[in-house]
Amino acid sequence: MSILSMRNLRKNFGATEIIRGVDLDIESGEIHAIIGPNGAGKSTLFHLISGKYSPTAGSIRFNDRQIENLSPFRINRLGIARSFQVTNIFPRLSVFENIRCALLWSSGYGYSFRHLLNRQRALNEETREVLEKIGLAGKAQIPAGEIAYSEQRALELGMAIAGGAELILLDEPVAGMSHSEADNAVRLIRRITEGKTLVMVEHDMNIVFDLADRISVLVYGKVIACGAPAEIRANAQVQEAYLGEAQAHA
Amino acid sequence: MNGVTAIRALAAKSGVWAVYLAVLLLLPQLFDSILAISIFNQMAIAIVFALSYNMLLGQGGMLSFGHAVYFGLGGFLAVHALLMMENEAVYFSIAFIPLIGGLTGLLAGVFVGSFSTRKAGTVFAMISLGIGELVAASSLIFTGFFGGEAGVSGDRTFGPPLFGMDFFSDVDVYYLAAFWVFLSTLFMYLFTQTPAGRMANAVRDNPERAEFIGYSARWVRFISFCASGMFAGVAGGLFALNYEFLTDENLNLVTSGRVLLMAYIGGLGFFIGPIIGAIVLTLMNFLLSNYTELWLLYLGIMFLLTVLFLPRGFAGFIMMHRLAWLRGRLHTLALPYLLTGLPALLFILCVICLLELSHTAEPELHFLGLTLAQDSVLVWTGLLLFATLGWYLTKKSAPGLRRAWEAANEPEADAAQEQFS
Repeated sequence: MSILSMRNLRKNFGATEIIRGVDLDIESGEIHAIIGPNGAGKSTLFHLISGKYSPTAGSIRFNDRQIENLSPFRINRLGIARSFQVTNIFPRLSVFENIRCALLWSSGYGYSFRHLLNRQRALNEETREVLEKIGLAGKAQIPAGEIAYSEQRALELGMAIAGGAELILLDEPVAGMSHSEADNAVRLIRRITEGKTLVMVEHDMNIVFDLADRISVLVYGKVIACGAPAEIRANAQVQEAYLGEAQAHA
Repeated sequence: MNGVTAIRALAAKSGVWAVYLAVLLLLPQLFDSILAISIFNQMAIAIVFALSYNMLLGQGGMLSFGHAVYFGLGGFLAVHALLMMENEAVYFSIAFIPLIGGLTGLLAGVFVGSFSTRKAGTVFAMISLGIGELVAASSLIFTGFFGGEAGVSGDRTFGPPLFGMDFFSDVDVYYLAAFWVFLSTLFMYLFTQTPAGRMANAVRDNPERAEFIGYSARWVRFISFCASGMFAGVAGGLFALNYEFLTDENLNLVTSGRVLLMAYIGGLGFFIGPIIGAIVLTLMNFLLSNYTELWLLYLGIMFLLTVLFLPRGFAGFIMMHRLAWLRGRLHTLALPYLLTGLPALLFILCVICLLELSHTAEPELHFLGLTLAQDSVLVWTGLLLFATLGWYLTKKSAPGLRRAWEAANEPEADAAQEQFS
């Protein structure tokens, strides 16, 4: 059954229509990759789902709830977390604080000014567990702005999964990484998103075909194909619009 | 963290608080002149006010140009409470007066914060400026409440005595203020350790990301804003108790600017920073304003120098030395500091002499035991010469200081070797 479904989703910026009627269903528990050429609207689609933008028309349902006009923090509270293409962390807070902040809302602390964070044993334990998972336990006390790029990407992932969201959106999680770093990142993604629904935008086709259960191809704001990796590989339209082009570039 | 280290950390922290409390209580024993007590009272007020300001700027990333509004409104309400006590409309211990100030500041914060915390950055700064101007202007229009240019005065001695204190003398007020300063400092510190306080830092760093981990940046800012207004109001209440007198000057932009300077010069990034700033600026105010009419100019220059050379303030400057200290190499910095510091001091003193000399109406300037004649060419050229010399030597010794600094902060030599082998 689908956890997230978009119907006739549209987004204009002025006269320019970036998303031009997207119909897409994300199945519960799957890893779903969204691919497409530059400027196809992949990031915009993520911004629409996560509430950064509100759509010009159409609907987004998450677990049978309309979410297209909710603000980002309300959408997050319903169980959708995301990472960003450009590293988006709290640079002056320590790595530990970054993860702990990402855990706060889902742990039920809200805007409390009665709890002292250092006394919250379960919360701090959970923070350490997440740090172990993403391999940053050794850097816990360093300001997040000062760790290496690939470590910041891992932190970004950690913040996305920390709150225990059902649906996780990853926007180019391995962008800018070397091959070995990307391999590590893929292993990490596999490990930490087990049992969750994952939607990712990614340019690296090896990773996409390796990780994804299903793939959607977005071209000029429309989904032109959606299916298992083998089907997508065989799809003539996709070959023409995207894969052929990508291979020509490579 | 295991149990032992947790207890040790807690003991170390409560040690700091015990020292703070002891200093607060012992100060009037060590310095008991009327002038000293009056300075301490000013410091106490400034500490609470500057710490409350840092909740906005340092911790929440909100640059306010109108923080005196909450200080002043708290103070005015507090003076009116004193007046009501004088008129026998109410009767309670004046120990609670700062609470009235705090409540007023909180209410004003709730009202203004409801629309000003929507955005941080320029929009917030402009709204704070607008509110600051608006309230300052209103204080001269609504003379019934604010007393116009004459202000409102009360009398703190009509309440019941507290622990044998009747509050006729400033020392009594000091002990009451010390209690409120300690309590306010403690609560403001604890606030930084709560989810709301930590998320304020997160929103300061990156409001967008905060929204994607479930927090409304606006609501986080609003909570900090209200808390900050409340503590500014407590400071205003203390001011009312100490001076028994408030005017429009206590809520106008000059006061707002001064608290910004205190927090900034002290260091925004550290909890203790605004405390240092409040102490230093209050002292400067007292010491310098007695000697020179140019003290505001010096304050301005000091602010500029802090922004340019010590962007993390005095507290940041002190904390910069932590690494060298941990590595046991702090002493290696003493000589280089002296070599750069003495010429710099010479330069600064010469510049001060030149400024004072051009300002003074007297034919002679008395400075550090010297008598300098205003019309002597020799004095002017001599000062210029020495200033140039000081500047030159400072410049010349600066690279040496930098090298010594780098050497003192370098990782251990053997540790570096281990990395390469």
